[in-house]
Parts: sequence; C-alpha cells; structure tokens
Amino acid sequence: MLSRRAVIVQLPVAALAGGRIARAFAADKSVTIGISLPLTGADADDATLIKDGAMLGVDDAKDGVGGYKINVTVLDDGTATAGQYDPAQAATNARKMVSDQSVVAAIGPQMSGSGKAMSPILSEGDLATITPSSTNPDITNPAMAGQFRPAGKAIYFRTVTTDAYQGPNMANYFAKVLKVKKVYVLDDSGAYGVGMANAFAAQAKVAGITVLGHDQLDPKEADYTTALTKIKALNPDAMYYGGVALAGVKLVKQSYDILPKIIKGGGDGMYSSSVLKGAGFPAVEGWYATIAAPYVFDHPDVIAWGKRFQAKYGRAPSGYAVTAYDGVLVIFDAIKRVAASGKPVTRDAVRDAIQTAHVKTLQGEVSFDQNGDIQNRIVSVFRCEKNDKYPIDDTLHQFKYLGVAPQTV
Amino acid sequence: MTDHAVLLQQIINGLSLGAMYALLAIGFTLVYGILELINFAHFNVFMVGSFVGMWALELLGLSGQSRILTGLPLFGALAFAFIVAMLACGVLGVAIERFALRPLRTVSGTTGMITTIGVSYILFNVILLWAGADAKNYPNPMPAMHWPLGGAVIELRELLIWGIALVLMVGLHLFVSRTRLGKAMRATAQDAEAARMMGVDVDRVVVTAFFLGSALAGAAALIFGLYYNYTSFLIGYTAGLRAFTAAVLGGIGSVTGAMVGGIIIGLVETLGGQLIAVRWTDVIIFSILVLVLVFAPAGLMGRAAPTKS
Repeated sequence: MLSRRAVIVQLPVAALAGGRIARAFAADKSVTIGISLPLTGADADDATLIKDGAMLGVDDAKDGVGGYKINVTVLDDGTATAGQYDPAQAATNARKMVSDQSVVAAIGPQMSGSGKAMSPILSEGDLATITPSSTNPDITNPAMAGQFRPAGKAIYFRTVTTDAYQGPNMANYFAKVLKVKKVYVLDDSGAYGVGMANAFAAQAKVAGITVLGHDQLDPKEADYTTALTKIKALNPDAMYYGGVALAGVKLVKQSYDILPKIIKGGGDGMYSSSVLKGAGFPAVEGWYATIAAPYVFDHPDVIAWGKRFQAKYGRAPSGYAVTAYDGVLVIFDAIKRVAASGKPVTRDAVRDAIQTAHVKTLQGEVSFDQNGDIQNRIVSVFRCEKNDKYPIDDTLHQFKYLGVAPQTV
Repeated sequence: MTDHAVLLQQIINGLSLGAMYALLAIGFTLVYGILELINFAHFNVFMVGSFVGMWALELLGLSGQSRILTGLPLFGALAFAFIVAMLACGVLGVAIERFALRPLRTVSGTTGMITTIGVSYILFNVILLWAGADAKNYPNPMPAMHWPLGGAVIELRELLIWGIALVLMVGLHLFVSRTRLGKAMRATAQDAEAARMMGVDVDRVVVTAFFLGSALAGAAALIFGLYYNYTSFLIGYTAGLRAFTAAVLGGIGSVTGAMVGGIIIGLVETLGGQLIAVRWTDVIIFSILVLVLVFAPAGLMGRAAPTKS
C-alpha cells in the first residue's frame, strides 16, 4: 500500500508518463475502432453479418485514414447464460473500450438492451458509438438524457432510424395496406421488443385497428402454445411481435401450427437470418418484417458492394451489414476531418466531427440531429417469400421488399 | 372459439406439457429417493438428449419439416431416435454418477449437489461450443394430422406424446413394483444400510436409478423436440426447474407423485396463462414450489412413498 504522501508525490510523475504515452501514440499514428456485438447466442448470425459489414469498411481503409493506421478491437456482448445479447456484458465492454485510450469511436451495439447499458458509460468516457441496428428511441430521447447521456453530449449515433418510426409506421402499413382490423400484440420482454410493441400498439389504435391484447413472452421459455391458444380464441386478423430471434424462432414455429392463417409481422428483429434458419420454411413463410433504414439493394453501387461482400464472406449481406459499413464510413470521415484540421485525433474531437457529419454512404447522405438520431427516417417493409435459388438463411433474398411504410395514417 | 373450447384446448396443451414434465420429474425423484441427492445435472442431460435425438433423426436423412414419413418408416424413424436418445442419456447419467458422484458418496452435506451443478454447466457449455448457440430447426417426420374435439384441435404429435409417456411410465411402475431390481431399489430407498446387509448391491441400484431417470429424460427431450420442432442449448433450465417443482409437488422420492405433479404443473402453466396472464406463469409455478416446501414439504404423495428416516 502506498501512503497518501507517496501517492501525492507520484501523481505528477504519472501525469507526465501519461503525456508521454499520448505522444507515443501520435508518433505511431494509429487509432482503434471498438466493435461490440452479440457474437454468442441466438443473434450471432445477424451480429456476424453486421461485424462483416463493418470489417469490410475497415479493410477498405488498409492504407490508413487521414494518415492514421486503423486498428479494430472486437468485443462480444452475447453470453451463454443469457443465450443472447447480455446488457451486463455490454456494460463491461463499454468500460473496456472507454479505458483503452486508443479507442476513438465504436460500432455497435446490435441490440437496444445493450445500448441502454452502454450509453451512460460511453457518455462519461466521451466515446461516440454508431449503432447500425439498435432502434429503441429512449437511448437518444432528450427527455431521458439524464439517464442515458449524463455527461450531456450525444454519443449514441445511429445509421438507422428509431422505433418511434419503425413501430408506428408498420402500424400504419397494417391499417392502410394490409387492411387489418383486429390485432394482437406480443413482445419478448427485452428493451427493444417492449418499446417496439408499445409504439406499434399506440399507433395501431390511432390508425383505427382494435388492439385485442398485449402479452409478454419469456425468451427462455420454450412453450408459447398457451399464449397462442389464447390469441386464437380472440380471433384476430393479425399478430404483431416486437422482439428478437430467441423468442421469435419459437413464436414463428408455434404460431404456424396454431394460427396458420392470420397476418403475422414483426420489426427488424424478425428480418433475421437466425429466424430464417431456426424457424425454417414453411413456418416463416408470409411473415412481415421491417428494417429501420431505406432499402438500397436495387442501387448499382450497393449491388457492386454486395458482390464484394459475398466474395469475401461467402454469403449475402443483410440490411444492417449496410448500415454497419455506413457507420464505419462516418467514423472514417470524422477521423479524416479531425486530422485535416491539424488537431490530434482524440475521441472527443472525433465525437464532435461525427455530430456535424454529412457523409455520402451506401444508404445516401447520413447526418445526425443533436441527439444522435439519423435525419433520414425511412422504414422499409418486407415479406418472407421462399426463394429456392438462395441459401435458406439469406435475408436479402428470402425477404421480398414491398415498399416504404407510411409515416402517417 | 368458445370459452369452453379454449379451456379444452389449454387442457390438451397442458397435458402435453405435463407429460414432458412428468418424464423429467421422475429422474429427479428416482435419484433423490435413493441417494437423497438433488441432481441438477438432470436439467442438461435432458438438453443433451434433445440434441442426440436430433442428430439421430438427421442421420436418417431428415432435416426440418420438409420430409414427411407415414406408416412403418415413420414408426421406424421415431423408434430409432427414441432408442438412441434414451440410451445416450442413460449412459450419460451413469457416467455422471460413476465419475462425478460416486467418489463423493461418502462425503456428507451438499458436496454432491454442488457437483451436479458443476456437471450441468459443463454439459451446457459443451453443447454450446459444439453445436453453436443458434436455435435448431428440429427434424420432424410426423405428418401434420389433427382432429377436431369439441371445438378444440388435437394433433397427432399430442396423441403420440401421451402414448409414449404413458407406456414409459407404466413400464417404470411395473419395473419398480414387480422386478427383483425394482424391489432392491425400493429397499435401498427405505434404508440403504439395511438393504446392503440383506445382500442388495447398492451400487447397482444407484446405477439403475441414474440410467432409468436419465433415459426417461432422453425420451422427454425427444418429445420436446418433436413437439416444438425446436431445440437449443438453453432448453434445460426452464423445463428442468418446472419438472423439479413437479417432483417436489408430488412428493420428492415418489414416482407416482412425480407423474401426478408433472401433469398438475403442465395444467397450471396453460390454465394459469389463459386465466391470468402468460407473463405470470413462472410466478405461479414457483409460488407453488415455495408453498409446498413451507406448508407441505412431503408433497402430495410423499408420505405414502418410501423415505429414509
């Protein structure tokens, strides 16, 4: 144990050493991008596609960005105990990234439940992250800033829009396009799922749909026949599920047996290769799903990019592989601008640069509002239709793009 | 659907769940009856069984629900999968007893139970690393046949589950009550020391209890896979804890109690979900566990069953 005096004596020395380390980094001219995704558990398949999307962006910058070599540190926020993303592990990862001074920005998390755990820590550490897929609006809601960004500045940026649009716009789609009159709402008790289901249910009522009920599924439970039999008795035209793959796979399978005829839909949690593979056809056929980003796979630049992705990773990209790649482009643009201005590339300089970004990406120009939310608020709707020419877990080809979900009733 | 039809449907669902819980609960009760040990590895022996059953069906060239069999091929495929899953689980249970528990049998206290928790985690992680964390699409060759019953629907898989569970439970009951080894099991459960003095091979009895309990877990696991068309490395805990509650409710140590307890827990789960709310299921079930432990620790049939003094 050091005595108090010893600590006082050593402090300036430590500060000096710290300064020297910082200079040493500048001389090496390298910075690190952190990536935190649930690579273990039920979401692993989709998380891997997101990671691959980000890594393709990093590999494109082999020669460095603004004179800096780019290192990547990949962390896993999925755990065996949770069986999917684990907010506690996500918080640990956030601390790890914050304590590593070379990390100047991050990509992730995939899931909003992780985002809620990470955001306050990243805020205190002044480290910006760009999420390619987590859509719960609370995290960037200015009314909840005290909880999710106690240090004040926006640090949680998104290259997708939020469930404040994804859920309600899909409710509009149910009412306007699918002519649904009576719907039953389910969620998977996670931060994302509950938020989606609530936002959907609220707008469904506005759009004139009768919400027959709203129940919660335990994602670790295997049996949903009780809940589904209950729903069947109410005779709905449609069922909406807010949630991710762990409960989603079982819901798809069991609802195929119990409610074969009604319209079934979910959010971006169901636009998932894990769902396709785990539930399989014919059960998953006909499910509606959304993503909180524009559909860009009909654009020649994105088609070319998709071919590069396919060649490198052996499978087709997902919608959120695109937004992850876009996130990396935004970070690189920020690093470039900071470096060009002659300032050291520190995490707060990178954060400020991300805040003012106007970057051309695969999904078009990306810019953020002062809370970190993307300015573009487009929700794309898909329907699962079997395409025998492609692998069964290929979201790009097993989900058919139907159009943009309407913003208003 | 009318209110009556819904209740009938939930009772059908509950009986199917109950049959699964009952088969699983027997494993807890057999081992507890003889060793007074709660075997938490049983949770994941069940989980391993569902994977073994899946691999057995895949070995026959089945995948997903795309290939449907009928008649003799269906019977053959299912019989093969049941035999493989039950044997594999039985052997796994015996191995756990032989290598993890027998060396500790003379150690008093909770050491054995804690060891079973450790073994449970080992099985859990082995399957996670081996088979991956994603949900598995269970191969199921059964045709989607169903029949109307008073407004509800009864499916082939439900009849199959009840039939298989019934056969296995009656078989176990006959084994325990009619055979020499069954008699030795009952004697050991009453008083191991006295049984040993009477020439009962206690080690053999213990091995038999582990084999039978685990084999029934294997059967329950295959039933689980065929019922939900799904398995994952996670399935052990929820099913295992509920089956354990069923064993306690029935009176741990009592085989008949485990069967009755399993059916009751299955019905509580579906009817509770229907009449209250699905999200309260676990609260209801585990409240039963607590209430039984506090007010009637012997359970429904505990007193009638042989217990050690």
